[in-house]
Amino acid sequence: MSPTRTLDVSGLPAYEISNRAPLWWGQLFMALIEGALFCMLIAMYFYLRLSIDVWPPPGVKPPGLTLPTLALIPLVLSAGGSYAASEGAKRDDRRMMLLGMGGNLALAIVFLVLRFIEWNTFNFTWAADIHGTLVWSILFLHTFDVIADLLMTAILIGIVADNKHGPKQRLGVHVDSVLWYFLVLIWLPLYVAVYWGPRLVGSR
Amino acid sequence: MTHPPVTPAGPARVWDEQDDRRALARTWHDPEGFFGWFRATTHQAIGRRYVLTAFIFLLIGGVEAMLMRIQLARPENHFLGPARYNQIFTMHGTTMMFLFAVPVMEGMGIYLVPLMLGTRNVAFPRLNAFGYWIYVMGGIFLYANAFTGAMPDVGWFAYPPLSGPQFSVGKGVDAWAQMITYTEISALCVAVELIVTIFRLRAPGMSLNRIPLYCWSMLIQSFMVVFAMPAVMIASTVMLLNDRTIATHFVNPAEGGDPLLFQHVFWFFGHPEVYIIFLPALGFVSAIVQANSRRQVFGYSAMVLSQVATGFIAFGLWVHHMFATGLPQIGEAYFTAASMMIAVTTGIQIFCWLATLWTGRLRMTAAMHFIFGFLFIFVLGGLTGVMLASIPLDLQSHDTYFVVAHFHYVLIGGALFPLFGAFHHWFPKITGRRIDEGLGKFSFWLLFIGFNVTFFPMHILGLNGMTRRIYTYPASLGWASGNMIATIGAGIIALGGLVFIVNAISSMRRGAGADANPWDAAGLEWSVASPPPPWNFTYQPVVSSRVPLWTDPALRTVVTGMRTDRREVLVTGVTEAEPQFRTVLPGASLWPFLAAAGISIGFAGSIFAFSWYYVAAFLGALGIIGWFWPSPPKDVEP
Repeated sequence: MSPTRTLDVSGLPAYEISNRAPLWWGQLFMALIEGALFCMLIAMYFYLRLSIDVWPPPGVKPPGLTLPTLALIPLVLSAGGSYAASEGAKRDDRRMMLLGMGGNLALAIVFLVLRFIEWNTFNFTWAADIHGTLVWSILFLHTFDVIADLLMTAILIGIVADNKHGPKQRLGVHVDSVLWYFLVLIWLPLYVAVYWGPRLVGSR
Repeated sequence: MTHPPVTPAGPARVWDEQDDRRALARTWHDPEGFFGWFRATTHQAIGRRYVLTAFIFLLIGGVEAMLMRIQLARPENHFLGPARYNQIFTMHGTTMMFLFAVPVMEGMGIYLVPLMLGTRNVAFPRLNAFGYWIYVMGGIFLYANAFTGAMPDVGWFAYPPLSGPQFSVGKGVDAWAQMITYTEISALCVAVELIVTIFRLRAPGMSLNRIPLYCWSMLIQSFMVVFAMPAVMIASTVMLLNDRTIATHFVNPAEGGDPLLFQHVFWFFGHPEVYIIFLPALGFVSAIVQANSRRQVFGYSAMVLSQVATGFIAFGLWVHHMFATGLPQIGEAYFTAASMMIAVTTGIQIFCWLATLWTGRLRMTAAMHFIFGFLFIFVLGGLTGVMLASIPLDLQSHDTYFVVAHFHYVLIGGALFPLFGAFHHWFPKITGRRIDEGLGKFSFWLLFIGFNVTFFPMHILGLNGMTRRIYTYPASLGWASGNMIATIGAGIIALGGLVFIVNAISSMRRGAGADANPWDAAGLEWSVASPPPPWNFTYQPVVSSRVPLWTDPALRTVVTGMRTDRREVLVTGVTEAEPQFRTVLPGASLWPFLAAAGISIGFAGSIFAFSWYYVAAFLGALGIIGWFWPSPPKDVEP
C-alpha cells in the first residue's frame, strides 16, 4: 500500500492548554463519575428520609445552619482562585498560577476548618441511626474528595514555585481547576440535602 | 486560538519509511525484562493481559459451574455439602460477572479501539495500566480470601439481611464487597480512557458517522459504566461493608435503614451491567458480519441509534429484578413496559444483521459460526426475557431455574458466543498467526450443542418448580432426568472449551503466518501488520468513508509531520475529526503498578478496620504523585 496523498500536521501546535485537551475531557468524566456517586447519595437520603416520620430521630439535634452557611463564602470564593490559576496556566503566567492556586488553597482550608468546627457540634455519630449514617457518609466522602484535590493543588504549587513546570504541568493546573469547580458545585445540593433537608421536607 | 492552516491531501512527497519505523520503534517499545513487564503502557500489551487474565477467571468460573452440575446430577447427591454449594455458586456468579465478563470486554476494547480509530494508543496509557493492575489485585484478593476460608456464600448480589452483619459472620461477604470496588475502579478507568480516545484521538476524517460500529458500542458501553458503576460501589462498599465494619445503618431496619434500598441501588447498577457486557458483543457481531458478508452493515444509523436507545432504556429496567418484593403496582407496570421496549431496540439490530447477511456474499468462517450461534441462542434468551417482563409470569417463575436458563441464554448467547467469534476473527491480528478454522468450527459445535443441552432443560425444570440455589432435591419431585441431561450438556461444554484452548495454544505456536488483512475486511486495524507494531500506524491514515480499506486505494491519504522521537498522537475534533493539535502521551512507568499496589493493600485491610482506608489514601497518593512528577527535562516542549 503506497498512499499517494498526505496530510502534513507538522505545523499544528505540539500541545494545547484549553478545554480541548484530552486531559480536560478525562477530568470531566472523572467529575461525572463522582457526580453520579453523590447524586445516588442524595437520592438515598430522601428515599430513607421519606420512610420515617420524625427526622432526624428523637434526641438528635439537626445539624446547625450557621457554620455551614458561613463556610459557603470561602468555598465559592475559592473557585475564583482556581479560575485565576487556570487562566494563568493558559498564558504561562507563573505569578498568576501561584496566586490563584494559593488563594484557592487558603480559602479551601478556611472552609475545611469551619467544617471541622461544625462537626464538633454534632450530637450523633454514623452509628447512631440512619440519619447519622447518611449525614456522615455524605460529609466524609465530600471531605475526602476535597482533601485529595487540595493535596493535588498543593503539589502543583510546589512544582510551579520550584519552576519545574512545562506545558504538561500547566495543563495539570488547568484541569485541577475543573475538579475544584465540580467539588464546589456538587457541595451546593449536598448542603441543601444535609442542612435544609430536615427543615424543608415534611413527614409522610 | 488560531492554528496554522492544514493543507488537506497535499501532493505526494518522498519520505523514508524505514527510517521512521526505526525511530518509532525506539520511542514506543515497552521496556523489557522482569521489571520492564510491570512498566508497560502500550494498549496492546495491556489489552492482551486483560483478555488473558479474564480467560483464566473464565476457566475458574467454569470449573465452579462443573462442580455445581456434578452435585445436581442426581437427587440427594452428597458431592458438595449445602454450605460449600452456597460458596461455589456465589463464587461462580461473582467470578463470571465481575472478574470475567466486564474485564474481558474492556480488554478487547483496549486492544481494538485505538487500532480501529487509527491512533497509536489510548488517551491515558498510565491510567490504563493502573486499571489493569487494580483488576488483577481485586481478583487475587477475592481468591486469596476464599482459599484462606473467607469465601462469600450469599449469592452474587449479596442481598441483606442475609449478607448483613447479623446473618453472615466471617469475612467472606466483606471480601466480596471490597472486590467489587477494585473491579469497578478498573472498569471506570477504562471507560474514561475509551470515551476520550473515541472522542478526541480518531484519525482525521473519521467523523461521528464514520466511526466503526464496534467503537460506537464501546463508547455507549463506557458511558453506561460511568453512570452505573458508582451505584454498585455505593451498594457494596458504602452500604454493605460499612454496615458490617463500622455499624452504619443503611440496611438495618431497626434504625431506619432499608434492605430493599440495597436491592434498588444494586440493580440500578446490575441491570445496566448486563448491557455493559452485551453492547461490546453487539459491536463484535457488526464487525464480523460486515467482514464475512463482504458488504457494509445494513442500517448504520439505525444500528447506532438503537444502541444509544438501549443505553438509555437500560437504566429504566432495574425494578424488573424486584417484581417479587411487593412494590407499588403502578411502578411495576412502568418497568414492565420499559423491559419490553428494550426488545424493540435489540430487535432492530438483529434485523439489520439479517439484512446484511441476506444481501451479502457470505463466508462461513469459524467466527461466523459463533455469530449464527449467537443469533439463535440470543433470540431465544430475548424471548424468555420478554416473558419475564410480564409481572404475573415473573411472580410464578421468580428464583426458579427458568430465570437461570433465561440469563444464561442472554449472557452466554449474547456475550460469550460473540466473544468467541471475536477471538477467532481477530486472533490473526493479535498473534500474527492463523487460527485453525476446522478446530474452531468443531469447538463451536461442541459449545453450541453442549450449551443447549445444558440450559434448555432448565426452562422446563424451572416451570416445574425447581428453585435456584438449592443444593439438592428429592427424587420424588421428578427433576432427576432434566438435571442429568443438563449435567451431560455441561460435560460437552467443557469438552468444547478444551478444544478451544488446545486450538488457541497450538495455533499460537504452529499456526500459519497471517498477513495484514487475512479476511479482506474494511477496518483500519487490518491495514497494519499482524501483530501490529507497538506504535500501530507508522503514518496515521486519513479516513474518507465507513469502510476505509474498501475504498479506492488511489484516494488513500496518510498523516505526515508527526514527531517520531516522542510518543506523539494527533488530537482531532469531536464531531468532524479535523486535526486540531498534537499531544504527547506518557511513556512506560512503574508508578501505575505501585499506586495500584498501595491502594490494594489499604483496601485489603479495610475489610478488617476502616482506618485502612487512610493507608489506601496515603499509599495511593504517594503512587499518584510519583506518577505525575515532572521528569527532569521539561518533557513537553514544542
